[in-house]
Amino acid sequence: MEAMRYLGAGEGDDALRRQLEAVAAELTAALEPRYVYRVFDLAREDGAILLVGTGVRLPGATASTMLAQCRRAALLACTLGPGFDTLLRKEQARDMGRAVMLDACGSAWVESGCNTAEEELHVRLPGLFLTDRFSPGYGDLPLSIQPAVCAALDAGRRVGIHVSDSFLMNPMKSVTAVIGIADRPQMARVRGCAYCAMAASCRLRKGGKHCGI
Amino acid sequence: MGFEGIQNKIVILDGAMGTVLQQRGLPPGGQPELLNLTEPALLRSVYEEYVDAGSQVVYTNTFGANGLKLERTGRSVAEVVTAAVQLAKEAVGSRALVALDIGPLGELLEPMGSLPFERAYDLFREMAEAGARAGADLAVIETMTDLYEAKAALLAVKEHTALPTFVTMSFEPRGRTFTGCTVASMARTLEGLGADAIGLNCSLGPDMLAPMLKELCENTRLPVIAKPNAGLPDPVDGHYDMGPEAFAAALAPCLDLGVTLFGGCCGTSPAYIRAVAAALEGKTPAKRHYDAVPFVCTATEPLRLDGVRVIGERINPTGKKRFQQALLEEDLDYILDVGLQEVDAGADILDVNVGYPGVDEVSMLPRVVKKLQSALDIPLQLDSTNPAALEAGLRVYNGKAAVNSVNGDPAVLERLLPIVKKYGAAVVGLALDENGIPQTAEGRVTIARRILEAALAHGIPKEDVWIDCLTLTVSAQQDQAVETLRAVRTVHEELSLRTVLGVSNISFGLPNRPLITQNFLIQALGAGLSLPIINPNQREMMDAVAAFRVLSGEDRECRAYVDRFAGVDAKAAPAPVAADMTLDEAIIRGLRADAGKLAKAALATEDELSLVEGHLIPALDKVGEGYEQGKVFLPQLLSAAQAAQAVFEVIRASIAQKGGAPVKKGSLVIATVKGDIHDIGKNIVKTVLENYGYEVIDLGRDVPPETILQTVEAEHIRLVGLSALMTTTLPAMEETIHLLQTLPEPPAIMVGGAVVTPEYAHQMGADYYSKDARQSVEIAREVLG
Repeated sequence: MEAMRYLGAGEGDDALRRQLEAVAAELTAALEPRYVYRVFDLAREDGAILLVGTGVRLPGATASTMLAQCRRAALLACTLGPGFDTLLRKEQARDMGRAVMLDACGSAWVESGCNTAEEELHVRLPGLFLTDRFSPGYGDLPLSIQPAVCAALDAGRRVGIHVSDSFLMNPMKSVTAVIGIADRPQMARVRGCAYCAMAASCRLRKGGKHCGI
Repeated sequence: MGFEGIQNKIVILDGAMGTVLQQRGLPPGGQPELLNLTEPALLRSVYEEYVDAGSQVVYTNTFGANGLKLERTGRSVAEVVTAAVQLAKEAVGSRALVALDIGPLGELLEPMGSLPFERAYDLFREMAEAGARAGADLAVIETMTDLYEAKAALLAVKEHTALPTFVTMSFEPRGRTFTGCTVASMARTLEGLGADAIGLNCSLGPDMLAPMLKELCENTRLPVIAKPNAGLPDPVDGHYDMGPEAFAAALAPCLDLGVTLFGGCCGTSPAYIRAVAAALEGKTPAKRHYDAVPFVCTATEPLRLDGVRVIGERINPTGKKRFQQALLEEDLDYILDVGLQEVDAGADILDVNVGYPGVDEVSMLPRVVKKLQSALDIPLQLDSTNPAALEAGLRVYNGKAAVNSVNGDPAVLERLLPIVKKYGAAVVGLALDENGIPQTAEGRVTIARRILEAALAHGIPKEDVWIDCLTLTVSAQQDQAVETLRAVRTVHEELSLRTVLGVSNISFGLPNRPLITQNFLIQALGAGLSLPIINPNQREMMDAVAAFRVLSGEDRECRAYVDRFAGVDAKAAPAPVAADMTLDEAIIRGLRADAGKLAKAALATEDELSLVEGHLIPALDKVGEGYEQGKVFLPQLLSAAQAAQAVFEVIRASIAQKGGAPVKKGSLVIATVKGDIHDIGKNIVKTVLENYGYEVIDLGRDVPPETILQTVEAEHIRLVGLSALMTTTLPAMEETIHLLQTLPEPPAIMVGGAVVTPEYAHQMGADYYSKDARQSVEIAREVLG
């Protein structure tokens, strides 16, 4: 269970797991992740990859490695919406322990929404292959592309995601990602600490664990 | 045509601007409002085509022409809006009206985002004033998903221009906006605030919008607008799936639901508008059926008052020392906690009274309203006689509130009813006047009639007038209980108004008060009382309400009653604390209720300080050690902290009762730095520190360095905790540290958060790196003792 890992509790502690399952059940009954995705053609310019018809420019090694065999890519945005933020505020007023569990479950639930979207995309593109999903902030893909990604998806209007001046997304549990589309199976994997920009400061790594991304 | 033409007439609006511009080769994204300055001929041609296609109103190309979005373009709002309005007017001449288009600001308002309501209001005001000056015929606020933002915009337009104003919002198929706003909440709140027409735009095609349009028509008397998308976009290529004929064929039947203003949003073009105009040619508007039910709401919680609804009375300082202390200390967390308990006990509405000597009600009431609505989803009844405080509270309330109260004194009615009307609130009228409380039911009913007439004269609809027939203490004026009940019955049956009654007063001065109060409550409900004001934490009262709802038929199939009592022996007392449980154990195991009870018991033999030093802190330390060793996890650490909080609450109440000074170990400031809006980590630190007895001044999230500096100076703070989550906000953390270090005696600074490491902390000049909440306690001990 992803949420257990986010709490730094690994697989252990049965009592905690039971409580967490109850919180997760409430969350998944209350909120559905909503998502939007769209496919764009790729162009290459000065070592960066452009998504044609948008202002999105993907610089750096992460994007060029991941998309090396792709002529198209999908942008994806997924969010639990402000409803989650409200739930979390309420739970923080009521019971901080449960609030922390809710926070962890929210992270897992929005990732699960991304998985659903990715599966849907896969079905719509028969005979094609998808790369692993990667997000601004991972590897050397900068957070600063966040506003352009959201603009290309019209994410404000379509799913209610806003990007702040410091490139934070609001609502809190929101994710954007790039998925490459290729003609043959994709083996490259960015997932793992070696590719992650957070590796130096990650709380899980400090504790000798990893997050599964 | 003038604006007066819209009532009971079919009006054709325009279609999308962005879609048409993209069809003409402009790339998506960017700032399309700048085209007003750079591509006037292109825009003019679009307006002309819409008017040729049949549009009687065109929206200006100003959707995002607000101060936030234009900030980096080097163009002012006045410049862009003026050009846009003038351009549209030139293009359409007298053939159509020009509507100043106002879209969402692009940043979320508090509490979801960090944009204050007041700042949003100012940004909308800037657009509205420029639009009105440039000669717009009306204003349209559109594509809103947050009712609070729509309210800010509507108030700004109404208070600074004379423009008629439309408001349309965007809903998802489940009947809510992204922020959870319901159709009924939207309709009744915006009508109350004085919108001239309301409706739905964007997000869905006409077929999927139809059920929500029907609901909207039932919830408002205003003309209703439908401006849907051309179906749904293809997720792969973004094209909308409905052509003009299919769109018009799906939209035209909305006429029968009561819609009279028709247009299109994303994916539509002049061809769509032409098809819609043709489909509606020669048709007449349908008859409307408004449901005039008494109603209050938050944005996300509509509350129809068609049964017994409990108003919780606990947010009120009268006779409550601990509450008075919280008000004087501006401890809003305590007030929120009181409200939360009422919600959990089953209250439907919360009465909010913060009037107390030494408290500035005009600033406190809106702060408390904001605090409560940030975490609770329950309509509020603002309880004050101070017009300025009521206005300040109603202004920041998100939804349709109630006001408690006016009375039959003409001076009071003249002072308060205009405020009630302006904000579309419901109002409680007390059946008394400048001559006091009439001693007979007839006298009170006469005053009730007078209040109703005055409200109607101010344009307040009948269903928004509630009457309080007044409870008098039965031990002092025994014959008055019957008069009150008779008055309730008459107001209910003859005036058909909702009645409110604060029932608890009845038993004052008698033994076994709950018995008298409960009996009076039951009789009053029988006489037609619909809105009892009670303490929902008193089980006898809520039990009586639950039983009444069964007998009146409101609780269908007795479901709520069975849920409340099934498996519970009606006579059983609340579960006792396990006999061998110690206070320390209760804290360690995070058993809040038990910890509170054991603390109360312990106060019989120990004083407050030794309870803190001897039990609370050692128990918390033990949990903290387990956490450090990886045997206890964060949720458990926090549960223990909150059990400790319950103990602290008992201690505070005990001290407040004796009138002593609160136990405080020293103050520190904590904040999430500028630009950072994720604050759960900071809140965790706060919870833990508070329960070690430190006074934590929580400045919140997205806090500018200057605010932190000012607080440190004003409060003589010796320790500051800063939190940052993102690499992009670390510079703001560093800036804050440097600013604090310019003070002659800089405070100690500890930093933490997802991206902060001991190395960064050192580089930035922080005194301490705090890896978690537990460590922040060690640091606080070192610095503050």
